[in-house]
Amino acid sequence: MGISINGVSKKFHSFQAVDQINLTIPTGDFVALLGPSGSGKTTLLRLIAGLELPNSGQILFNDLDYTNKNVKERKVGFVFQHYALFKHMTIFENIAFGLKVRPRKFRPSKQEIKKKVYELLELVQLKEVANRYPSQLSGGQRQRIALARALAVDPEVLLLDEPFGALDAKVRQELRIWLRELHQKMNITTIFVTHDQEEALEMADTIVVMNQGKVEQIGTPQQVYDRPKNAFVYSFLGRVNEFRGEALGTVKDGCHLSDNYVGYLRPHEVHLSTIASDNSLPVEVFHVHSVGASVRIEIKRLDNDTLIEAELSADEYRRIGPFYKGDRLYANCDSIVVFQHQHILEDSLPKTVASTI
Amino acid sequence: MRNTSKRHLLPGFGISMGFTMVYLSLIVLIPISVLFLKASTLSLSDFWQTVSDERVIASFKVTFSSSLIAALVNTVFGTLIAWVLVRYHFWGKRVVDALVDLPFALPTAVAGIALTAIYAPNGWIGQFFEPLGIKIAFSQLGITIALIFIGLPFVVRSVQPVLQDFDAQYEEAASTLGANSFQIFMKIILPAITPALLTGFALAFARALGEYGSVVFISGNMPMKTEIVPLLIITKLEQFDYAGAAAIATVMLLISFLLLFLINFWQWKQAKKHRAVKGV
Amino acid sequence: MSAKKYEERNEKSREGRRSHLLRKWMLIGVALTFLGLFIFLPLIVVFSEATSKGFELYLLALTEPDALSAIKLTLITAAIAVPLNTVFGVLAAWAIAKFEFKGKNILITLIDIPFAVSPVIAGLVFVLLFGSQGLLGPFLEANNIKVIFGIPGIVLATVFITFPFVVRELIPIMQEQGTDEEEAALTLGANGWQMFFRVTLPNIKWGLLYGMILCNARAMGEFGAVSVVSGHIRGLTNTLPLHVEILYNEYNFTAAFAVASLLALLALVTLVIKSFVEWRSEKLRSE
Repeated sequence: MGISINGVSKKFHSFQAVDQINLTIPTGDFVALLGPSGSGKTTLLRLIAGLELPNSGQILFNDLDYTNKNVKERKVGFVFQHYALFKHMTIFENIAFGLKVRPRKFRPSKQEIKKKVYELLELVQLKEVANRYPSQLSGGQRQRIALARALAVDPEVLLLDEPFGALDAKVRQELRIWLRELHQKMNITTIFVTHDQEEALEMADTIVVMNQGKVEQIGTPQQVYDRPKNAFVYSFLGRVNEFRGEALGTVKDGCHLSDNYVGYLRPHEVHLSTIASDNSLPVEVFHVHSVGASVRIEIKRLDNDTLIEAELSADEYRRIGPFYKGDRLYANCDSIVVFQHQHILEDSLPKTVASTI
Repeated sequence: MRNTSKRHLLPGFGISMGFTMVYLSLIVLIPISVLFLKASTLSLSDFWQTVSDERVIASFKVTFSSSLIAALVNTVFGTLIAWVLVRYHFWGKRVVDALVDLPFALPTAVAGIALTAIYAPNGWIGQFFEPLGIKIAFSQLGITIALIFIGLPFVVRSVQPVLQDFDAQYEEAASTLGANSFQIFMKIILPAITPALLTGFALAFARALGEYGSVVFISGNMPMKTEIVPLLIITKLEQFDYAGAAAIATVMLLISFLLLFLINFWQWKQAKKHRAVKGV
Repeated sequence: MSAKKYEERNEKSREGRRSHLLRKWMLIGVALTFLGLFIFLPLIVVFSEATSKGFELYLLALTEPDALSAIKLTLITAAIAVPLNTVFGVLAAWAIAKFEFKGKNILITLIDIPFAVSPVIAGLVFVLLFGSQGLLGPFLEANNIKVIFGIPGIVLATVFITFPFVVRELIPIMQEQGTDEEEAALTLGANGWQMFFRVTLPNIKWGLLYGMILCNARAMGEFGAVSVVSGHIRGLTNTLPLHVEILYNEYNFTAAFAVASLLALLALVTLVIKSFVEWRSEKLRSE
C-alpha cells in the first residue's frame, strides 16, 4: 500500500511535535524515520497508524483519504517499542488475538487460526514457545512475537516503533538482518522509527531524516550519507569532525571567521601523510586505536591544539604506519564540507560531489 | 512527549467521563451541597450562636484533642511497627502484617463494643486500673484508645512501602562515614520517611475527627466531658434541630475538606518531586 | 532493603550481632505489645464474649428472626452498593487513568470526599435531602415514598460511604499499565468492548477484586451513616451493625457479641482474601 502524507501537523499543548510534513511512500518500500529524540518521528508513525490524529493535513492510503479513519479501519500492523504483548495471554493467544476479534462472519475457524499462528511462529522461528507467556521470553523473542502478532492480521503496512531499541547489541544485529530478509520475502510497505543512524543506513531503502518536527531530507542511504542537504543531516549521519571559527578558517581559505560557518569532515576523509603537501596541516599523533578492520587515530593540530579524528583502513595503516603517540604527521582536510546557516556552500564541495547534487 | 495526548484515541472517554460526572453528582456532590444549603438558611448570628454554644465548643475540644493525641501515638508506634515489619524476620510475621489492616475491615460498632468490654471498669484490662483510680472507658482516655485503633493502619501503610523501597546504600554510606545507628535513623531514614509520616498522620487525624461507631460505646457520652461532635450532630437531629445539626456539620465538613485538600496536594507534590528525581 | 539483607548486614560482627539482636527483640516486643493491646485483643474479646454463655445461646442469637432479617438487609445493601460502585469505579478509573484532561486532580479529590466526611455527616445529608423536613420530603411524602427510615436511605448512605473504594484501587494500577496493550488491541482490529474485556479487564482483575472486597466489607459493616438514616426499626430497617447496637444497649451482651462475631468473621475473611490478592499481584510483578 502506498502512503501519502500531505502537510500533516500535530501539536501537544504548546509543543509542535510534527510540523507541516509532506512525504510519499511507495508500495513495498522499506522506510526508516531517523532523528534524535523529540524530532517527531514516533509521533509521525503514530499518526500514520491512527494512534494520534493530526491537527491539520491529510493522510492518504493508496490515494484514499484515511485522515479520519480510526485505528481499526486502517488495518496497519504496529509493533510497539516495548512490544505491548498481552501479559495474561500465551504466545499462541497473543498471535491469534487479531483473528479472534474479527466479526463472526470474517472470523477464521479454529483450525485455520491454529494453522496461521503456527505458520507465523515458524516464520519468526519460535515454534517452541507457543504455550509460554510473554514474561518467560527474552527481549529478542518478544520482539519477534510482537512482529508475528502484527503480521497475523495481514496488514498492508507494517509500522515499527524503535524495533530494536530495547535489545542488546548482538541480538540487535541478528534481528536487523532477519527483518531485512523478512521484508524482502513479504514485500509489505514497512516504516520503522529509529534514532540509530547505523541501523537506518543498514536496513532501509529510503531514509527520512527528521529534526524538530520537520523532514530534513529524504533519500536512499547513499544519498543522505554522501550528499547531505544541510549541516544537521551531515552531522547526524555518521561520525564527524566539526570546524568552526579560526579552526575552520585555517583549513578552508575564504571562509570568514564567522559563527555562521561550520565545516564538517568525516574521519575517513582525513588523509594522513608523513610528508607535508599543499593545504596540509601539521599534526601530532595523540592516540591510536587499532582494533578491527579500520584504525582510528586521534591527532592534535599543532596550530591550535584541537583534536581531529581520522580513520583509515587497516591496509592503508600498514602501508603508511605504524604511528605512535607524539609522531609528527600532515593531515589533508580538503574534503571538508562547509555550511552557512545550516545550508551547504556549493563551492565548498569537492568537485566530484558538487556535480552530482 | 507522546503521552500528552491520548485524547479520543482509546474508546470510551465520553461514556466513562459522562457516567462518572453524573454518578459523582448524584451520590456525592448534590447531597453534600444540600448540607451547605441547609446551613445557609441560618442567619450568620444564628449560625455563630449554634456553633459557639458551650456544649458544641466542649465537644469540638474533646474531638480535636483526642484525635490529635491518637494520631500522634499512631505516628510513633505506627512507624515502629512498620519498621519491625519491614526490617525483621520473626515467626508469624505474615499474620501480624495482615492483621494490621483489621481496623479497616472490622465494622466500627464491633470495635466499639469490644474495646468497651476490654477497658470498662469491670473489663479485661479495665479491672486492673479501676483500683488505681484510673478510668479508661467512659473517659477521654477511652475515646483516645478507640481512635488509636481506628487510625493505626493509616500510618503503618503509609510508612511501610517507603521503608521497603529505601535503598540500603544510603545507610551503608552513612555507616562507612562513621555514623552510629541512632544517627543513621535520625539523619538518613527519618528525613526520607517524613513525607509518608505526615501523610499517615493527616489521614489518621482526619479519620479520627469524624469517627463515630467505635467511640460512641466507649465514650460514655457525657455532655461537656466525653461527647464527640458526630454524636452531638445526631443529638441535634433527634431533637429535629436540622439547621443546628447542619451548622455543626458544616464546620466539621470544612475542616475535613481542608485536610483532604492538604493531603492530596501533599501527595501530588511528593509524586511530582519523585518523578523529577527519577528524571521522567 | 529486604529484612534478610538488613539482618545479614547487622550480624557481621559478634559485638554487632548481640546489640542487634537485643534491639531487634526489643522493637518486636514493643510493636507486638502495642498491636496486641489495641488490635488483636478486641478481636479475641469478640469471639470469647460471644461464646461465653455456651454455643447454644450463640446459635440462638444468630438465628432469631430479628437477627436473620438484619443479615438479609445487610446482604441486600451490599448487593446493591458493591456492583454500583464497581461499575462506577471501573468507568471513572478508565477516564482518569487512560486520558488526559483538565481538572483531573480536582476530580480525584472530589471522588475522595466520602473518605474524608464523617459517616454521621454522610447520613445527615440524606436526611436533609429526603427526610420529612428535608428538601424533597414533602414531595416524597405526597407520593408515599419512604427513603429515610427505610431501606432506600440505608442503601444510599452505604453507596455514599463506599463510593471511592473500587476507583481508588484501580487508578494506580491502570496508570501503571499505560495504554500500550489497549492500543495494540486496537491496531489488531479489536473493537472497544473486545479491547476492554479481553485486554483491560484481565490486567486489572486482582486490583478490581481487592477493591470490591474492601467495598463489600465497609458496606456490610457501616454503622454511623446507616444509624442516622435507618430509624432503628427492629426487623425492618436494622442492618447487622445496628442490630449489634440495639442488643448491646439492651444489655444483651452475649447476643450482641454473637452478632458482632459474625461481622468480625467477615473482617477476617476480607483480610485473608486481601492477603491472597496481594500475594498474587506481588508474584505477578516479580515474574
